[in-house]
Amino acid sequence: MKPASNRVRRARPSLGTFVEITAGGDNEAKLHDAIDHGFNAIARVERQMSFHQSDSDVSRINREAFQRKVTVDPWTWRVLQAAQKFSRETDGIFDITVARKLMQWKYLPCRYRNVSEGNWRDIVLEKNCTVRFRRRVIVDLGGIAKGFAVDCAVKALKCAGVRSGVVNAGGDLRVFGLKSELIHLRHPAEPMRPTGAISLRERALATSGIYFAQKRRGRALVSSLLDGRTCRSSRKLISVSVAAPACMIADALTKIVFVLSEKSAPLLARHHADALLLERDGAPSWMFRSSCDTSDRTEFD
Amino acid sequence: MTQIPRWILPAAISVTVPLPSYAEQYLTVSAAQKLCFPECDQFVPAHVKFTPAQIKAIEANSGQKQLLRGQEIWRATQNGKLRGFFIVDYVIGKDLVIEYAVALSPEESDKQIEILNYRESYGGEIRNPDWRKQFVGKRPGSRFALNNGINNISGATLSCRHVTEGVRRVLATYEACVK
Repeated sequence: MKPASNRVRRARPSLGTFVEITAGGDNEAKLHDAIDHGFNAIARVERQMSFHQSDSDVSRINREAFQRKVTVDPWTWRVLQAAQKFSRETDGIFDITVARKLMQWKYLPCRYRNVSEGNWRDIVLEKNCTVRFRRRVIVDLGGIAKGFAVDCAVKALKCAGVRSGVVNAGGDLRVFGLKSELIHLRHPAEPMRPTGAISLRERALATSGIYFAQKRRGRALVSSLLDGRTCRSSRKLISVSVAAPACMIADALTKIVFVLSEKSAPLLARHHADALLLERDGAPSWMFRSSCDTSDRTEFD
Repeated sequence: MTQIPRWILPAAISVTVPLPSYAEQYLTVSAAQKLCFPECDQFVPAHVKFTPAQIKAIEANSGQKQLLRGQEIWRATQNGKLRGFFIVDYVIGKDLVIEYAVALSPEESDKQIEILNYRESYGGEIRNPDWRKQFVGKRPGSRFALNNGINNISGATLSCRHVTEGVRRVLATYEACVK
């Protein structure tokens, strides 16, 4: 006899990592079909928001938005808006124009010359999905688009009738449906070694690790996780995991928590997010649960 | 509905504890073939042995070293009519051994890429040619089909660069040996 419920799991290389989609339902053929829709949504995000592809929205605005208004895909527009909102909320700790520094440090390919200093305030989002730069800045959506892609895939799966599942884009993931899922956290120094586990239901989780992404620049160690205001990166932490209602929020918050550590408590509470921070020795250094910590009044500047 | 995640953390993280190796099986070769070419009724395998000239061409076109001496290439047909090709390849990354399939059609060079399975790799073994041999012409399946109950992992992102490079090599192989 056939089991009443099937579970199908597939993976593809995308967004610079491995994207894994798990879907549960009755009809296996339908699940495969739905998973295709999920992968298509992710492919659309990659096509428009990749820093590397020269015909993506991101590449077009980086080349042209200083000279003229550039019309982008509504999805790109939404991600840019969300990024600007996080920049406003954190007074520039989250800033997609750090692409300039990331390019200097060779985390991103050197594709643009004569990039001027600037910040998120130089990005102007106008009506009808048009973007304009006040200065010759460049942006990279690497800190937020992967989460958005996961959210889009989840939406596509739900629309295709999938009742429960998981979309995991290289560690940025979202669980949907009635079933809760156990998520193992990878040790930043030994990627295949799980260090702990989190149970999630109807929730997203994103992790940003620093350990093997660190480079030496002169006498200083740099990493791709940096404070948009100072371009310095945290020395204390090696990994930050954030759970939130949507993966784009979780993804962006990991970058902010990396800089602010405990001071991010009010921001996390506002986004109904929880956080787990790992220090260099791999020990959990700080945990924040949004539901029981709303009385926390710590302010940050 | 509650939205509170439950953090389950080990009391102490010890380096000495041996951990189970991590592996994941996604699709069998035949399941992947049906997904890539749903309209096709037959998949005919051919083991293509590379000539030294072909290896040279593959390496020049892809910029990747061709370690394999031959590769299994399936012809996907519908009522006897050729619809495309299906190639299984593997790459060895820093942390993972990944087996994946590339579907090609005359119209689309990389119609679809599906990961078949992966497992944790250990630095030393991948340099051993005997160990590598096991992948040549191998059907994925039982050997790596264990996952120790670890279904979802979050952490510092693993790069898929090796697969991207591998796909380039597979496309060059197709150009050199099939077209």
